[in-house]
Amino acid sequence: MPSPIIQVHGVTKQYQRGGETLTVLDKLDLEMAEGGYYALMGPSGSGKTTLLNLIGGLDHADSGELIVAGEDLTSLNGNDLAAWRAETVGFVFQGFNLLPVLTAVKNVELPLLLTPLSARQRREQALRALELVGLADRANHRPKQLSGGQEQRVAIARALATDPKIILADEPTGDLDRVSAGQVLDLLGRLNEEFKKTILMVTHDPIAAARSRSIVHLDKGKLGSIEHNRPLETAAARS
Amino acid sequence: MPFGLIWHNLRRHWLRSALTIGSLGIALFLITALRALVNSLEAGVRGAAGNRIVVGSDVSLWVQLPTSYQAKIAQIEGVEKLIKWQWFGAYYQTSADLFAQWAVDKDVLFDVYPEMKLVAGSMDEFLVRRDACLVGIELAKTYGWKPGDTIPLLGNTYPRADGGAWQFYCAGVYEARLPVDNRSMFFDYAYLEQAGEAGETMYWPGCMLYVARTAEGADQEAVIQAIDRLYENGPYKTKTQPESEFNRQFVTMVGNIPALMAAIGGAVSFAIVMAALNTMLMAARERTRDLGIMKALGFTDGTAFALMLVESFAIAAAGGLIGVGTALATESAIAFQLSANLFPGYEITPDMIMGAVAAAIAIGLVAGIVPAWRASRLRAVEAIRAGA
Repeated sequence: MPSPIIQVHGVTKQYQRGGETLTVLDKLDLEMAEGGYYALMGPSGSGKTTLLNLIGGLDHADSGELIVAGEDLTSLNGNDLAAWRAETVGFVFQGFNLLPVLTAVKNVELPLLLTPLSARQRREQALRALELVGLADRANHRPKQLSGGQEQRVAIARALATDPKIILADEPTGDLDRVSAGQVLDLLGRLNEEFKKTILMVTHDPIAAARSRSIVHLDKGKLGSIEHNRPLETAAARS
Repeated sequence: MPFGLIWHNLRRHWLRSALTIGSLGIALFLITALRALVNSLEAGVRGAAGNRIVVGSDVSLWVQLPTSYQAKIAQIEGVEKLIKWQWFGAYYQTSADLFAQWAVDKDVLFDVYPEMKLVAGSMDEFLVRRDACLVGIELAKTYGWKPGDTIPLLGNTYPRADGGAWQFYCAGVYEARLPVDNRSMFFDYAYLEQAGEAGETMYWPGCMLYVARTAEGADQEAVIQAIDRLYENGPYKTKTQPESEFNRQFVTMVGNIPALMAAIGGAVSFAIVMAALNTMLMAARERTRDLGIMKALGFTDGTAFALMLVESFAIAAAGGLIGVGTALATESAIAFQLSANLFPGYEITPDMIMGAVAAAIAIGLVAGIVPAWRASRLRAVEAIRAGA
């Protein structure tokens, strides 16, 4: 197994709800290899999205160790964590989450504002990312002028723009029809296979999960099982 | 810092942004204009000379005193120079072109008012020609008048019997500091008197005011009492006051304007700040999801704070520009109208502009600080979820 890019050791995360303490992740241990393509599955409340947010540095674990891309996230403060996110991870959300006031290319450029690139370089890189997702001709369209599938592909282009090591996708096909979902999954597969991006995707959809290399099952905040070595080629061939 | 995003966000609800900016502009214009107005109303008091006293009717400013009083007042000990003032009330070309014209004793005008200086034309001509007048430098600029010009005026208070215009010869242009207005015209009382006596206009031998310059070392209070004692039991009882007191009473004649203005300005400003704050809070609520996305992408809490605050400042600055711009653009017209109504000295000064800029900054800060603080405290995950 290649070296792990994500190491989760004894991570616990609890929330307070109505005076009760809810343990969402319970001393979870998990490692994910660099270049892997993981589908994170489990029933609602099993801690999938919480784990994704912790790995993405959007939330803090209550205890345990979380090392992602060589960085101990529990030791980083808010600003350092923001800088780390900008450099290391790209997010794809279920609701696309593009900024409605910006065109597609401006949305893709947004994370590049945090880099030292010039305006021209940012523009060129954003256009390349849009070209990669097949939407170069929609660069100047605003989100409301795009279909759901196109919006999600712009969101993937945005996640890719800074060339992060890891792409975290939370139900990326949840709001899409079957055809659009297939296009998005093709794209994620390609990013993993051609560009060697490590992908962690939360999904309820077994068809989407089947396109990954490994399926991690969570249950009540603990690791259920891992189905390893599902070759990407096999998944692609099924589509 | 994605400043371009601020522009896009302002355009998101362009009508709301425009209305907010417009209302801020109006508020800042009002604040500036009201300050200038209060300044104008108080200018006469500030500029009053300590050695001048004003004699008017005890009944009302608009009740004339007989010209026969002049000789007696002039004889009172301590009165060095005495001048009549009579409102002429005419207009130039159209009734909108109203400005103050005063029939005075021209030979002592500059003695009683040493703050007046002739900047163009001839004093000799002013003194020699019966129909000569002096015009204030601002008035001359307004109408492009210069020495040698003929100025026809149509009488309201003193209409000519033949229905024609009064003809004045512009002998010179003066410049003065307050309380003398640079938008007035002065001519010889004798011109009016002679026209009246010749039946060219309705005329009663009287004047609105006498202004006396008191001698150095004279007991002003004693002079005042001596004048008023003269006409204590006469048909036209006088009220004599130091110039500063007269000017103060002239302002309060129309109510406590400065306090009223301050109250109106304060209330308007407060209402506008609340409106701007409401707009910014609405904007911040709309941005919740966007800010969550940006934070997820790696933007910091500080960036979120700055974005909201700069957006608020941008709205306030645009409003400030409109407000100050409008105040400057209307300065001349308002000054002219106020001057025609005997309140000279309306002027937008640099400190008023600075005051408006400071008010705009304060509004931007007050309206933006709470939304900015909230934006900085947003947690990406919750913000995205809340906005989904």
